[in-house]
Amino acid sequence: MDETALIHSAQQGDLNAFNTLILHYQDAVFNTAVRILGDDDMAQDAAQEAFISAFQSIKSFRGGSFKAWILRTVTNACLDELRRQKRRPTTPLEPETSDGEEMDSPKWLADSNMTPAQKAEADELEHAIQHCLDALPTEFRTAVVLADVQGMDYTEVASAVRVPLGTIKSRLARARLRLRECLRSFEELLPSSFRLEEENIR
Amino acid sequence: MKNFRDIETLSAYIDGQLNASDAARLETRLKTDPELASVMNDLRAARGILRKLPARKAPRNFTLTRQMVGLKPPMPRTYPLFRLATAFAAVLFLFSFTATTLAPMMNFSGMSAPAQYGYGGGCEGPCGGGADPAMEAAMATEAAPMAPEEALAQEAVPTMTSDPAAAEMAPLEATQDTARILETPSAKDSAPETADQAEVQQEAPAPSFNWTMLFLVLTVVGAVALWAMNLSARNKWR
Repeated sequence: MDETALIHSAQQGDLNAFNTLILHYQDAVFNTAVRILGDDDMAQDAAQEAFISAFQSIKSFRGGSFKAWILRTVTNACLDELRRQKRRPTTPLEPETSDGEEMDSPKWLADSNMTPAQKAEADELEHAIQHCLDALPTEFRTAVVLADVQGMDYTEVASAVRVPLGTIKSRLARARLRLRECLRSFEELLPSSFRLEEENIR
Repeated sequence: MKNFRDIETLSAYIDGQLNASDAARLETRLKTDPELASVMNDLRAARGILRKLPARKAPRNFTLTRQMVGLKPPMPRTYPLFRLATAFAAVLFLFSFTATTLAPMMNFSGMSAPAQYGYGGGCEGPCGGGADPAMEAAMATEAAPMAPEEALAQEAVPTMTSDPAAAEMAPLEATQDTARILETPSAKDSAPETADQAEVQQEAPAPSFNWTMLFLVLTVVGAVALWAMNLSARNKWR
């Protein structure tokens, strides 16, 4: 795939060329979206929105890494979605007591930790990691997803989220510390290499 | 627990983002400080576990359609010219249609009063003050169907030919004349008005009606041509 030629054609309005680029990058884009948003449906919407937005603004692409550019677009779409959610938070239906009466302020609504049921569901490592990612503040999660999940370097991450390089360094360090703390509660799920390191630390 | 600056340096170190001298200094510290080394292992483990996270495949293709991005088929170069010409013809048609059909209808209903005002009180300078009041009333009835401009033009003739002394009396007499004209029975005026308007309607619309038809035909032809160009472009695009 001649990426440069495809980008050039897409800049001339060639939708087929852009669709070829989409097929090449859609896994990375969806993966980024699902790690930042933590929800498949929302991630699909964000990915689709990002590709539409990318096509409409592809003339502004001035070269460099197309992957970094498209991941920046999907990151922005995810952050927009998270901001929308903050503005219009959804409230689950009031649960009922055993008598059939509505509970006014159920404790589980205020509890940010996983319930036993949720813990049982998170019986796979991937769920455990995603749970820990979801617990991170958005800006930390975005930095760690782009740097550690997508393997982008600091400069690319800084460019993608439009913050200084020093801020990215700091966010990554904090995010990793928090993740490590969170992952400790899923020790039995972690790969042996990870557990060995932990044992060594102890 | 180390201070946050140490943690940040460790995080950058495991990503290979430290320069050589900073990296060497940190490595020396790591050898002598087991707590710092354990924190580094923590960070490295967290980073490692994230990198081992299985990559999720896209559950469907996100390829775009033309509708999704609002793309329109490329039009021939003459398309904008045709569109402009058609719009211009449509405007001219509307203007022409309004002038030939609607304007006479509007004049027919509201012509007599403005004309009377135009004759009697409309002029600000010395109007034909020296003329006979009876003659003036008759002239007013004749001028009624005309446009106010025509009435003023007719008034200008007696003004220029009349006596200057009489002209000085004009404003006062003009007011009196207006009062007389207003007292004139409407039945007396209506017959000549209707006759004159009928003549105007028979004579005037004939040439301009052709223009209206021409503009209408141009508009319709232009619209059909635009539609055909659009259709052809879409078919070619498919």
